[in-house]
Amino acid sequence: MPKQTVFESKRGVSRVEVREGYSQVLFSGLPEPLVASRVAVLEVIAQSGVSIDFLKLTQSGLSFLVPEAKSEQVEAAIRSIGFRYEVLQHRAIVLAHAVNMRDEEGLIARIVGTAIRCGVQIDHIGDMHDRVLMVVSDFDVPRLQEAIAPIAAGGRP
Amino acid sequence: MKFGGTSVATPEARNSAALRVISAKEQGFSPVVVVSAIGRRGAPYATDTLINALAEVDPPTAPRPRELDLLMSCGEVLSAVLFAHLLKSLGHPASAMTGVQAGIHTDGNYGNARVTQVEPAGILRFLEQGDIPVVCGFQGVCASPEGWLSEITTLGRGGSDTTGSALGAALGAEAVEVFTDVDGVKSADPDFVPHAPTLRTVTYDEVAEIAHLGAKVLHPRAAEIAMNNGIPLWVKNTFSDDPGTRIVPRSDYPGKRVTGVTHTGKLVYLQFNFESSEASHVRELQSVVYEMLERYGINLFMINVSPTGLGFGVPRSQYEVVMDLMDGLVLPLDGGRPVIYLFQIGPATKEVETQERLLRPLGEQRRIVAEVTEGCTMVSVIGHEVLQQPGIFLRTLRTLHEAKVPVLQTSDSDLSVSCLVPEADMERAVRTLHDAFAGAVAP
Repeated sequence: MPKQTVFESKRGVSRVEVREGYSQVLFSGLPEPLVASRVAVLEVIAQSGVSIDFLKLTQSGLSFLVPEAKSEQVEAAIRSIGFRYEVLQHRAIVLAHAVNMRDEEGLIARIVGTAIRCGVQIDHIGDMHDRVLMVVSDFDVPRLQEAIAPIAAGGRP
Repeated sequence: MKFGGTSVATPEARNSAALRVISAKEQGFSPVVVVSAIGRRGAPYATDTLINALAEVDPPTAPRPRELDLLMSCGEVLSAVLFAHLLKSLGHPASAMTGVQAGIHTDGNYGNARVTQVEPAGILRFLEQGDIPVVCGFQGVCASPEGWLSEITTLGRGGSDTTGSALGAALGAEAVEVFTDVDGVKSADPDFVPHAPTLRTVTYDEVAEIAHLGAKVLHPRAAEIAMNNGIPLWVKNTFSDDPGTRIVPRSDYPGKRVTGVTHTGKLVYLQFNFESSEASHVRELQSVVYEMLERYGINLFMINVSPTGLGFGVPRSQYEVVMDLMDGLVLPLDGGRPVIYLFQIGPATKEVETQERLLRPLGEQRRIVAEVTEGCTMVSVIGHEVLQQPGIFLRTLRTLHEAKVPVLQTSDSDLSVSCLVPEADMERAVRTLHDAFAGAVAP
């Protein structure tokens, strides 16, 4: 007899995951040409030997996450280039996992809208084909998790 | 053994496909065949042609999803019957089967049904008889409101690949082979990078990432089912003897590498700036935008939300809907200081100017202008472990910068770094990134 078989995952948000222990580094008001300034920032970070996550280009700069344990190392490196920056400590990434999420039209907007409406300060949001990632302070994680949980349960928040 | 549209499009192609099935049988395997509809867009029996036939009856009336699925399942029925008949004519007994007869159960989501269960008793019976079952891809069956298992459903995008994997899993197959008209999974689109090698081995998660980010060689749903059940997958060429690409679990193919460079999507990118808005209103403004996008089923890419703005890409096919929804949208907000916000998407239209004139006597108003970049696409570098290394973003952005390809936004996952670039620069972006990372590509 054929074995017990698992076929396709249920649609929608299957689980919410939290990854803690990050710092967010934000550069703003970078000098023109902007692209060259961004590359200069990334060059300094690469030379410091720290891996970054969640790079986002902003209108006048960029932002990214680094492991909290490496934030001092990163600060020491970026201080040398003299650009304006800010480091936000105690950041977490809250991930809403949803396999093949782009097949469900409007699902991404629903997750993001729910996150915004729940009142926590969202520093950044990103998306891939199977997850939405939201950067918030550690303090706000439970509130955001609670807001997204009904979507994961298949209901509406 | 799953054969896609081009592998069953012509008598010659079907003959090549049939010889592959016969060869497998002669090697001692018990092949189960899955076929797509005959030919791709524009072909007389292709799925799109069938849908167009309905539209010709009465263009403004949308067909019921139930009837649409019934119609769309016809292409595969024709294909399966023809293929089974061909095998018989070549001396090998074969029996065509619909998705229902093959026991493919789905949920009731017409047009995009999810496989929930497979009861392959019918297939096993034919195999025991010595017949080669030829199963219609892309279709299944769900329960009617009366509880009878009688409603035909279709599986949506990548449906036939999904059928192949689901049957492979249910039957405990030694392998699922997906036959197409290319040699396997390439490290980049060969139209842009002619020297892109065929990858000999990739992992399930790599192939799912590649497929999601643009390669059309295998649907990620098929990879997901195979991964859940540990069934080895192959992508092979019906028309060549190339060994193809083997798709395996991560544990069978560890190591650090760049898998390839992909491109996907015709997108329009919108960037809203809320710097001129009242700080106490920003959250409400963001919330309204996303609520509308959700209500109208808009698909979003490369989202960027920050305390002073938001940005997102939408498929070009949905951009008109976004324009209709948001250009000229009026949003009065109180929260301490009443302001009437007027949304403008791209350059000011007559509608927006009229709205502004009409609103002028009603109080303070501010315009929220979305900067629009039409003609964008996503280019991605995919790999294992490489992307966690320091300097990967630098290398990607610097490579594109040196090639004079502007990067509008980025996103990343555990397996990929993606950049939003102008569509006009797409080919150059793919080629340059592929060349830059070629040393790390492991064929």
